[in-house]
Amino acid sequence: MTRIRSTSAAVVAALATLVPFASHADWKPTKPVEFIVHTGPGGGNDLLARAVVTMLEQEKLVPVRMQVINKPGGGGAVAAAAVADRKDDPNTVGFITSVWLAGPLTAKEQKITVFDLKPIAQLLREPAVFAVRADSPYKTLKDFIEAAKAHPGQLKQSGGSITSRDNIVREQLQHATGAKWAYVSFPGGGERLAALLGGHVDIMVIEPQEAGENVRAGKLRVLAQVSETRLPKWADIPTLKEAGYDIHPTPQIRGVVGPPQMPAEAVKYWIDTFDKLHRSASWKKYVEQNELEDAFVAGDAFRKSMEETSKELREQFVKAGIKVTR
Amino acid sequence: MDILTGLLHGFQVATTPASLGMCILGVVLGTVIGVLPGLGPSATIAMLLPLTMKLDPTGAMIMLAGIYYGAKYGGSTTSILLNVPGESSSVVTCIDGYQMARKGRAGPALGMAAISSFIAGTFGVVALMLVAPPLAQLSLAFSSPEYFALMVMGLAMVVLLAGDSLVKALLSMLVGLWISGIGTDLFTATSRFTFGSVQLLGGIEFILVAIGVFAVGEVLANVEPHDPPKMLPVPKGIRNLLPTWDDMKRCRFAFVNGSVVGFIIGVLPGAGSTIASFISYGIEKAVSRHPEEFGKGAIEGVAAPEGSNNAETGGALVPLLTLGIPGSGTTAILPAALVLWGFKPGPLFIHDQPQLFWGLVASMYIGNVVLLILNLPLVALFAQLLRVPAYVLQPLILGVAIVGVYASDASMFQLGLLALFGLVGYAMRKLDFPTAPLVLGLVLGDPMERALRQSLMMSQGHISILLRPIPAVLLVFAALLLAVPLFRKLNAIRVQMLESEEA
Repeated sequence: MTRIRSTSAAVVAALATLVPFASHADWKPTKPVEFIVHTGPGGGNDLLARAVVTMLEQEKLVPVRMQVINKPGGGGAVAAAAVADRKDDPNTVGFITSVWLAGPLTAKEQKITVFDLKPIAQLLREPAVFAVRADSPYKTLKDFIEAAKAHPGQLKQSGGSITSRDNIVREQLQHATGAKWAYVSFPGGGERLAALLGGHVDIMVIEPQEAGENVRAGKLRVLAQVSETRLPKWADIPTLKEAGYDIHPTPQIRGVVGPPQMPAEAVKYWIDTFDKLHRSASWKKYVEQNELEDAFVAGDAFRKSMEETSKELREQFVKAGIKVTR
Repeated sequence: MDILTGLLHGFQVATTPASLGMCILGVVLGTVIGVLPGLGPSATIAMLLPLTMKLDPTGAMIMLAGIYYGAKYGGSTTSILLNVPGESSSVVTCIDGYQMARKGRAGPALGMAAISSFIAGTFGVVALMLVAPPLAQLSLAFSSPEYFALMVMGLAMVVLLAGDSLVKALLSMLVGLWISGIGTDLFTATSRFTFGSVQLLGGIEFILVAIGVFAVGEVLANVEPHDPPKMLPVPKGIRNLLPTWDDMKRCRFAFVNGSVVGFIIGVLPGAGSTIASFISYGIEKAVSRHPEEFGKGAIEGVAAPEGSNNAETGGALVPLLTLGIPGSGTTAILPAALVLWGFKPGPLFIHDQPQLFWGLVASMYIGNVVLLILNLPLVALFAQLLRVPAYVLQPLILGVAIVGVYASDASMFQLGLLALFGLVGYAMRKLDFPTAPLVLGLVLGDPMERALRQSLMMSQGHISILLRPIPAVLLVFAALLLAVPLFRKLNAIRVQMLESEEA
């Protein structure tokens, strides 16, 4: 994948020059490693962690056994607490998503946030697209937004929780255009898509992989991509900016963190390991199959980008009238 | 003829030694994890997923599906023998299954669970094969207002689960509804009743409450000092280990009910096997000629829910394979598996991969037969468990309950909750409150609230959206159900008056 932001590209370049010199006193795990995830078995983050285990084994990057530990509940809060409990353990890695950033903003119960943990690396950005039914009258995003302006509140979008990217993009578009449409939350992706296919809602933000098959079958039409640049598989679909809406969608990310006092040499080991992983053939295949965006950002740059994202999210929440607690 | 050639081709795929081996491996594994509380099919499939990368995808798919429906067979075992539900879809089986075991009829209960599972499971596969594409389209007409009405109908069944006092049953249900509201609200991202606890942000697991209230509560009630626990009667002789012909005749309607209700609810993406099992149990009791036997060991009370949770498997595969939409939480992992093997789940899946679809369908016919053959002899084995004396059995139940809860996420907090709900269950027994309505409220509360709020968001607050044809019919059913006790009372008064006239 060539779509790496300039900041991440710089970090990767810096790392690539650093790594060869750091040969002596290298730390390596000698005990089994635990990957902590915030979903139950079969959830998105759990599946990513298990795929990473398989790929790390295939590429022979980690010399010990790796195990996925599920700490579901509280939108990442329980898992964050579990990672924090490991204090200075070099053999624990937590898999985070944007949910870990959004959660603490609205739930004051969450005492530990991702910023209390040691950032290792951002791995992926998750692209998305705006889709309507194939027989919908809206051929472009502009059609939809004009219709929403003409009939305020009558058009509907299905999506996840109110703090999810689906709703934030909607809020941003509403703010930029003055259009208003309703947002209906469904807990599962399947239900969101069923509501769109059944004609109960008019539009949704959907993963490109899921949208692709429905486009091929003539069930859905994709109007725009929720990303900064066009995805290779969707070369003929405009980004939001190209569609005429100059908004900067908050990226949905996945990454890895360590316990709060993870020793520097262990942090370096994991940055190095995930850097090697993201260059490997199996990773490229995984990213392509799942239509994700490779987006490796290591260490402090990762923390900075999360801080920015968190700030952006907070602003969006406030604008959207979501009660923020910090 | 298309279906016939497809099926023939499917059997060619499914009867190769490799596929057959994967099918048997899957259903055996499924039965085992079904029997063990705490370890569910989703967790098992997630753990095995990396291993399947090295396998042939058809075989892998056959095995994973085998785990999924095999677990439904195994789930009833601990429900019946120990009052500890093995899977959430077997919670309702505890109600009559455990009472049958207490009366020395554990064998017939276990046997009936297997037979009913087989009949309804096979029905589910037949229906999947025959009507999948048109039905999937139809299911899309079902949206939030319809789900709301379905859940209301389910809740109205509280009058059927009530013992002597309807008021107590309603109170119990309200507590269940309240517990279902704990956690982060999806629509506003606010915390409800979390009391500042991080662990409660995600809500309280339904299966944990069911294990606490049913199993732990039962153990506590059994070990009271003035009431020394009696040994459960042990069935003797092969004849008493299997359902009799009379049992089979009594369950005729339960087989149909379980098959149809389970399949239809399975097709709907917004409701899973747990809801299917509750609704088919309610229907069974509502139409029964002897509703008074339910809750005291009626064999239909085992046959209906155990059938419906197996028919649900075929149903849940309908939207999954024809639309790429998982029909329930457990099947949500299957599209991810398909992507991992290089397939594209979606509307063109059957068209693109006919050998995989028909191979899977054929393997499910085989798998259900294997499960029946596997499970019937196991009845004899499992029934022997009741031979152990009470001072072993009661701690065993507690142990199974604790391990089951701890195994899912190794959290002490969850064990604390288990103890709490055990005490709640004990208190309810002492005060003569029925526990089933609490569990019913907990299962249906969250989906019902969600569906109502979604409906009103869709209609900009107009209640008229709930009066579309399907929800209107379901709501009328719910109202009739609620009126049942009233009719009974009127009838009782009428009978009294007639008697007094005669006197």
